[in-house]
Amino acid sequence: MGVKKLAAKVADYKQRLEDGKASKIEPDHVEKVLAKLRRKQADLDQRLEETTGTDERERLERKLAVAKEHIARAEWLLAELG
Amino acid sequence: MRKYTLPVVVGMLLLAFWLSPDAQEIAAGVAIFLFGMLMLEDGFRLFGGGRLERLLQGATRSFPRALGFGIVSTTLLQSSSLVSVITISFLSAGLITLMGGLGIIFGANIGTTTGAWLVAGFGLKVDIAAYAMPMIALSIVLVFQKPKGLRGIGYALAGLGFLFLGIHHMKEGFEAFRAEIDLARFALPGLLGLAVYALIGTTATVIMQSSHATMVLVITALAAGQVSYDNALALAIGANIGTTITAVIGSLSANFQGKRLALAHLVFNLTTAAVALVFISPLRAAVDGISSLARIAPDDFALKLAVFHTLFNMLGVALMLPVLGRLVGFLERRIAEPAPDVSRPHFLNEAVDAFPETLESALRKEVLHLYDNASEVIFHGLNLHRDQVYGSSDIGATVRASRDLMDVDIDDLYERRVKTLFAAIIDFTTRAGDQRLAPDIADRIYALRDVATGIVQSVKSVKHLRKNVVRYTMRDVGAVTALYDGLRTEIARIMVEIRDLGRADPEDRSALSLDQERAGIEEAARSTTRRVEELIRRGEISATAATSFLNDSGYAYGAMRDLIAAARGYYIERDSAMAEVERLLELDEEDIDGHAGGASPRPHPAEGRNRSVT
Repeated sequence: MGVKKLAAKVADYKQRLEDGKASKIEPDHVEKVLAKLRRKQADLDQRLEETTGTDERERLERKLAVAKEHIARAEWLLAELG
Repeated sequence: MRKYTLPVVVGMLLLAFWLSPDAQEIAAGVAIFLFGMLMLEDGFRLFGGGRLERLLQGATRSFPRALGFGIVSTTLLQSSSLVSVITISFLSAGLITLMGGLGIIFGANIGTTTGAWLVAGFGLKVDIAAYAMPMIALSIVLVFQKPKGLRGIGYALAGLGFLFLGIHHMKEGFEAFRAEIDLARFALPGLLGLAVYALIGTTATVIMQSSHATMVLVITALAAGQVSYDNALALAIGANIGTTITAVIGSLSANFQGKRLALAHLVFNLTTAAVALVFISPLRAAVDGISSLARIAPDDFALKLAVFHTLFNMLGVALMLPVLGRLVGFLERRIAEPAPDVSRPHFLNEAVDAFPETLESALRKEVLHLYDNASEVIFHGLNLHRDQVYGSSDIGATVRASRDLMDVDIDDLYERRVKTLFAAIIDFTTRAGDQRLAPDIADRIYALRDVATGIVQSVKSVKHLRKNVVRYTMRDVGAVTALYDGLRTEIARIMVEIRDLGRADPEDRSALSLDQERAGIEEAARSTTRRVEELIRRGEISATAATSFLNDSGYAYGAMRDLIAAARGYYIERDSAMAEVERLLELDEEDIDGHAGGASPRPHPAEGRNRSVT
């Protein structure tokens, strides 16, 4: 998942926040984005179930893998923000 | 003519000061009053921030709400001209409807009468300078604060203080003036008086660009006995006509909607003025009746003038309400919507420059317009029909079936539909950069400029592909046709994904979904060279065709990356905190490569074909 890299990005964000160059992220903001990502994943799952073509299935599986990574990152970020 | 106005006005002022030193105080009072209005406007701009857009959109959901908003906003800002400019800007940017704009303008006409009440009911009866001084003194402390909101309040407080101070000096000036010259000698009775003084009121308002300032002058002159009550009524009517000229001047740089609103304002005020002039006697009687009920002294002509001012503006609204639909019809016929010229900007005009919110909103819409034009050029460049691709359930099959040549001059299309619009966007963002915009708005505007640049880059990349797309896909010549069909399909898929992203409900939309496409592009780009080598080894494609394809695939993947980057820039969350979340979660190049490499190589449609091409 690249937790280290995400942690580095969060550290950079916190520095920018201290310098007054970033907007404060509240848990609510992450939850809203997480909800969108989960809806997107559900949509991809459904399309995968309905698709039979090999090429299309592979494409959807790749998209699903990316969607799941986003969700994992968002969940980590939510936990990090407490 | 314009170059003579300034010296003539200055000359007249100097002459007046020489003839009567007391005229200086009146003139200075007017100047201080106008300065106060400018400071109120500055305070509003600082304090408004992003609230204005949300406020206006909510306030104009219905005509009565818009009317109420017009009354309240003009009362608070003490300037119907400012409210008119705001309304025309937002209408030009497409943020409010014409009906909503009409409601605000009509309401502003009523709201502006509170100025007369302020002066007549308060300004003349108390030592207004005693309030003005502490307000001005306190305001400077706030103006030097860092937070925008506090500075805005400071400017607004200073504006109000200077307004009061201006009224004080006008009052004092007219009192002193009375000793030297009695302007009431020039009072004109009857119809002649009505006409002449209405014209004077109009002229004064056009010169000072403020009906408020005219009314304050009239009331203070009336209170000092320098003008008769009848003539003061005519001056008030004239001030209403004069204020529409400000709106008409402001609409000259607006789009057709802004011009419609200015015309509506003119119609409204001219109609109201005509009715007031014709029915001046019954109106006077009504004012006397209302004043008596409100326990206003019969000789308090200043307050009675305020009653008259409010009454005849409310009368105007009452007259226009039943014919509102017909008025809108007239406006739409008189100022027809110009036939959309896709190569000209639709939303960028000088009127939207007035406020950061309208500036950004207009730019967003124009960038979308650019993308709409660009997508048409891209599809035609790939020999595809946009509507067919968008309506397709199997994009690959649609692409493979698209063999007919679309006889288009791609360079001409680019020049007319993309380049001119892009130039207008660059010009607009450069001018926006000259304004003192808040950092977050400036960032978003420059981001939109980058989006436009990315869109144009993608079109230019596809232009490079056109020649070989036509050469190798008009008929099926084997493996190379399949390769080029593959590129066309991948670009078409990206366009469909971007279209779907745009159509998604804002509650569901996230630019993060574009990371999925990025991974797909990198996977395809990585496998391209490998596949072409395999085809050469099998003799299914010549080295010449392979070289052309590898070169073109570079342009194609470049176009896809530019399109994805542009879409990310456009659809990033507008809320800055949510945008930060998206930036933290988005995958970087290494992560994307990981996903691209993770997928097992899939058989390319070109593999296994027997025909070769030289």
